[in-house]
Amino acid sequence: MSVLEIDDVSIHFGGVKALQHIALRVGEWEIVGIIGPNGAGKTTLFNCITGFYTPTSGTVRYRGKDISNLPVHARTALGLGRTFQNVGLVKNGTVLENLRTAQHLQVGYEPVSGILGAPSTFSEERRVTERAGQILELMNLEDIAHERVTDLPYGMQKRAEIAAVLATDPDVLLLDEPGSGMGPEEADELGDLLLTLRKDFALTIVMIDHHVPLVTRISDYVYCLNFGEVLAEGAPDAVRNHPEVVRAYLGEETV
Amino acid sequence: MSAPTSPSSEAPDATLDLPTVEEELWSAPEDAESERFRPSRAGWFARGALWAVLAWFVLAFPVNFLSPFTLGVSDVSAASEAAIFAIVGLSLNVLLGYAGQISLGHQAFVGIGAFTSAYVVVNLDLAFWFAVAVASTLGLVQAAVLGAISLRLTGLYFALVTLAFGSFAQQTIFAIPKLTGGEGGKEAPRPALFDSDYRYYFLCLAFLAVVLFLDWRLTRSKAGRALMALRENPRVASSYGINVKAYTLIAFAVSGLFAGLAGALMAHHDEVIVAQKFGFNLALLFVLMTVVGGLRSRSGVVIGSAFFALLGSGHLLELLEPLTTNVFRFSLHDFLTGTIGLPIEFVALVVGPILLLLTITKYPGGIGQQIAPIREWMLGHRFDIHAGKVKEVEVDDVRA
Repeated sequence: MSVLEIDDVSIHFGGVKALQHIALRVGEWEIVGIIGPNGAGKTTLFNCITGFYTPTSGTVRYRGKDISNLPVHARTALGLGRTFQNVGLVKNGTVLENLRTAQHLQVGYEPVSGILGAPSTFSEERRVTERAGQILELMNLEDIAHERVTDLPYGMQKRAEIAAVLATDPDVLLLDEPGSGMGPEEADELGDLLLTLRKDFALTIVMIDHHVPLVTRISDYVYCLNFGEVLAEGAPDAVRNHPEVVRAYLGEETV
Repeated sequence: MSAPTSPSSEAPDATLDLPTVEEELWSAPEDAESERFRPSRAGWFARGALWAVLAWFVLAFPVNFLSPFTLGVSDVSAASEAAIFAIVGLSLNVLLGYAGQISLGHQAFVGIGAFTSAYVVVNLDLAFWFAVAVASTLGLVQAAVLGAISLRLTGLYFALVTLAFGSFAQQTIFAIPKLTGGEGGKEAPRPALFDSDYRYYFLCLAFLAVVLFLDWRLTRSKAGRALMALRENPRVASSYGINVKAYTLIAFAVSGLFAGLAGALMAHHDEVIVAQKFGFNLALLFVLMTVVGGLRSRSGVVIGSAFFALLGSGHLLELLEPLTTNVFRFSLHDFLTGTIGLPIEFVALVVGPILLLLTITKYPGGIGQQIAPIREWMLGHRFDIHAGKVKEVEVDDVRA
């Protein structure tokens, strides 16, 4: 059974048809890449999957369950973890604080007992901090745990964001341009990291990226979007060399 | 490695929010620092001495205990009011500071608490403690209702709704003679045990301590973290799994609870509570004292609120009078009330905006920012004159 199933999803903003009849399937433990030129609707698709937008028509299914009408936080609770195109962290806070906040759903007490200062909340808070520390260690970010996010370089922020999403305990990782602003070497490292994470956390990964070499290297399946429609799909190399895809990226006059 | 700043083409977020010190909320958890600074013996002694002076000033000085000064009953009564204002300040801080929602109708929250408590004691003939509980609960409920509206409206529009709510309460609820006693006011007797002004002062302090504790635990637990996240970026907060609407309501509920409690204490402090007290002036004063005190800084808010309470009742000027007349040969009191011709109850409303302007333009952390070096030092850290310095923050919208 597919983990994520997008069925005939369309979304219109006024007269703009941002997505039209998108169908997409993501299997367990797969890495699915989504490529496409700017404005193709990739992030809009992510917003439909994670609940920031409600599709005009069509359904989003997670493990067979229709989640099209669930709010964002409920989808996070089901196991959808998402990163943002321009760093989805609370920038005023430190990296550690972000990781503590991201564990919101795993905190084992009610907000009211927290406010009343119930004894169990103290030990639970220590556990939350410990868990944050473990994830930071895994991501090699211990050194910047107490740095405020705004003070960090962009690449570090991107990395910290992945750490924060892992802290939400996801089943499916939706990464919106994790490799933006990275050179080829860093992109390679990112690829290795994602493969390791998939293995260690038993993750399914959906990623949007412009780094076609990165996407083709680690993806099991690739979709190419253009003007809100699926232009091509299939094995990475097949999509990469698909004439329509080449034309979308390079324009009509290609040889 | 060089850092390209994150691309942000969108305009900054238009929520009602002031940049302020974050140190109290986002500071590292207890066990975070590995190499810790330990003060020397003399250092501990100096810190202890300052704590003792502070304790004396709060606990002994107003009640003429171990004190070379003699204060009258009206002074201790003013001190009680300062403690009550501090509770109101903390209540507003939860909304304005943590949740990023403004309330220009907070005087109504407090007023409803005040009349509820008076009604329960006088008309229903029930115990004072029960009345305080009812007032707090009612404060919580009505704040939550207003909070439900805030989920639909944001920023300036919501500010207008709270403003309207305040005047609405004043024109309707506070105009019911059975509830508010009409022009003459409503009686609100104190329990026998706390009938004396001195004892009532300690009662107010005890409630302030409880509120401080709850506020501290709020900021150090799940709910506080959720509020910090959703204030800065609701989209990131919701993708962390935080139910933004529910937690906004929690902030309103907590704020309303504190406001209702403060109202009940205020009613029994005044003993006769008049509806005219809860005009828009008071709402303005509440916002002024909280912002000048320093959003998200507990100690700053308490000091700011106490400052404005004492300024408004004229006690601060009286307290300063010996100093100004003897040292500077100048009476501030005579200058303000005589030369300028400003009635004492308006001094706060004139001084307040000036301080507010100073706070917004130069010291966004308010009093909390000013006292941060001393506070950190008193808590056993190394003295650092730059502690609590406001960090410039670029709040850019996450493109979702």
